[in-house]
Amino acid sequence: MEFVWTEDQREFRERIKSFLAELLPDDWERFSQHGPASPALTEYAETVCAKLAAEGLLIPHWPQDHGGAGLDPWYQTILAEEMWRAGEPRGGQYMNVNWIGPTLIRYGSEEQRRRYLPRIAEGRALWCQGFSEPGAGSDLASLRTRAEQAGDEYVINGQKIWTSYATLAQTCFLLCRTSDDRKRGITILLVPMDTPGIVVRQIPSLIGEGDIHEVFFDNVRVPVTARLGEEGQAWEIISYSLRNERLGIPRYALARAALDRAVKILQDRGEFDAPLVRAEAAKAVALCEAARTANYALVSLRARGEELTAESSTARFATVNCERSAAEFVVEYVPNALVDEHPFLKMHHQRAIVAGIASGAAEIQLNVIASDVLHLPREAR
Amino acid sequence: MDLTLSDLQSSILTALDSLTKGYSAPDLHDAPLSTQSETLDRELRDGGFLDVMSDPELGAVTAAIIVERISRLPVASETGASMFFGGALPAQSSSAVAVMSGARAPFPIRYLAPGTRIVVLEADRTSYFVAQPDQIRAEPESLYAYPVATLLHMPDDRATLEIRPEEAQRRWRVALAAEIAGLLRAALDSTISHVSEREQFGRKIATFQAVRHRLAQAHVNTNSTYWLAMKAAATETPEDAAMALWHAQESARNAVYDFHQFLGGMGMTLEHPLHLWTYRLKALISELGGRAGNAAAAADALWPREMPTARR
Ligand SMILES: Cc1cc2nc3c(=O)[nH]c(=O)nc-3n(C[C@H](O)[C@H](O)[C@H](O)COP(=O)(O)OP(=O)(O)OC[C@H]3O[C@@H](n4cnc5c(N)ncnc54)[C@H](O)[C@@H]3O)c2cc1C
Repeated sequence: MEFVWTEDQREFRERIKSFLAELLPDDWERFSQHGPASPALTEYAETVCAKLAAEGLLIPHWPQDHGGAGLDPWYQTILAEEMWRAGEPRGGQYMNVNWIGPTLIRYGSEEQRRRYLPRIAEGRALWCQGFSEPGAGSDLASLRTRAEQAGDEYVINGQKIWTSYATLAQTCFLLCRTSDDRKRGITILLVPMDTPGIVVRQIPSLIGEGDIHEVFFDNVRVPVTARLGEEGQAWEIISYSLRNERLGIPRYALARAALDRAVKILQDRGEFDAPLVRAEAAKAVALCEAARTANYALVSLRARGEELTAESSTARFATVNCERSAAEFVVEYVPNALVDEHPFLKMHHQRAIVAGIASGAAEIQLNVIASDVLHLPREAR
Repeated sequence: MDLTLSDLQSSILTALDSLTKGYSAPDLHDAPLSTQSETLDRELRDGGFLDVMSDPELGAVTAAIIVERISRLPVASETGASMFFGGALPAQSSSAVAVMSGARAPFPIRYLAPGTRIVVLEADRTSYFVAQPDQIRAEPESLYAYPVATLLHMPDDRATLEIRPEEAQRRWRVALAAEIAGLLRAALDSTISHVSEREQFGRKIATFQAVRHRLAQAHVNTNSTYWLAMKAAATETPEDAAMALWHAQESARNAVYDFHQFLGGMGMTLEHPLHLWTYRLKALISELGGRAGNAAAAADALWPREMPTARR
């Protein structure tokens, strides 16, 4: 066991840092307050991602056959850490490189790969993830949006909710019910968002413009070739996808950057002497480092080619703890951040408050840990 | 010792509840981050609710009871500062009172608007001024669910009030603790409604023990916050006030996180009212130095530091 980066990894990090330093505009911190799903940030992210692609920094962890450099997961982690630390200038495209692309590489048809992967690799694609429904959040397997096969088409009817990026995305990674079997009745369709019958409504939120939406499907027709994998294979596929998704979001890197910034502000104001305040800051930083190491333990497994286990929920919960304490430290000791005084801290706040909800509630992670890591006896039914 | 409401206090609350009835359902049509009502503010003033401090029969406990009750409303209405400091201010006007700890600017202040009467809690005195338009920057992007504006600069010609700094801090702690108690109660009620309706995995979310225990704890903390605030209003000691506010802030910090967890995606929208209470709680968590500042103040009041004496 060793906790040092190789020379090459250090250089890789430095390369990304200087790339970002050169690329990001002077008013980036204020600009980044436009939520990650806002039109402004999405548009800007396209220019960032195109440049990352040109530098070979968009998908370096993808296999070489698909335009990547075949770098190991440590490089993916370094890349993601630096992006998050800067406030994620890739916007919604982080999803493409973390899990949509890799999922298509593993499960997509030849046609689907040809159609979607090049655009992702060029940094010009935006997807949305149509999983949650009004009646199916934590209990995702109870989803009801239906896809009925009619000849060589599927006809989709139903509703999704909380869908990030829905107004701007070109394609939806959509979960639909094709039979009544709870999990094996769910199928993935890759649906162009300009297909007739799709209506999107933005939901005003605490986390910035354009972030969450309702998406309605009224007799939406897509060809059978829009199906990813087999009918009923969705659960297997998304289990693979979501593990990739979770590993690709190093929230602790942004939380740590926010804490460092908050401490600097307090020091500059001469308000960082009280022992209790210093101790609170140190506790929050410790939780960030706890989340970082819990995640590194998983990256390490992946780097050895092993599949991730339920311990990925352990790392995710540690990440929720760290986001929580960083955001709470700022609320308590740098309260003007939430007004507008410190855009970077406000941006962090708006990202942090969803850490325990988006991509699966923290309480569900605890349930997974209890049953699949600790193997506790289950509640009698 | 008698912790029940007097007849007079009960009838005041009954009158208050009937006055505020029309304001208890949030109007979220325009999905605002904060809501206010000039009519409600006027009715509270005209009804004499904000004057109970000066009534010898009523005083600070009744004031705290009223602050707690009004802060449960989805609309924000400035009451605590007016009730606990209004009587000491020279100008009898109907404008809101704001309290700031420390003479610092620029700094965001709740209820700051032209004409707001501002009390400044300074280390060596309590001072006062009336806010002028050119001192103020509106803050429409603020996340706090209060009307907030930034005071751009601190005027030098502040009047000195006849309230000792320790006494001013004590009063403000009581007012804040009472306000937090009401906010906690309303946020808890709102969360309970949601989890009692919302079903996942074929059952109400409220039936999961993981949720029940945390809500039950939130009740314990809200209950204690209420009683500590009332006791601090009654005893008028600095240690009771500091403990009440520390406890209120500690409870708020946990409750805000838990309540948003239990609402899931719904708690992130402006179409559900929860944020109106939780983002007010977030604003109050930082008051008077946050938990660190108030715990330290409680320790100093409980166990006064001995002045260093020259060694023989
Ligand atoms: C900012 C944001 C972006 C999102 N983006 C997307 C997106 O792009 N695509 C998409 O499909 N979804 C998205 N989501 C939805 C997200 O995945 C869901 O919000 C999440 O799965 C929780 O579902 P819910 O909101 O319906 O909460 P619910 O399922 O109603 O749960 C609410 C709370 O109840 C408690 N609870 C529920 N079940 C249990 C249990 N068994 N044991 C103990 N406690 C329990 C938990 O505290 C939970 O947080 C997003 C959400 C947010 C906040």
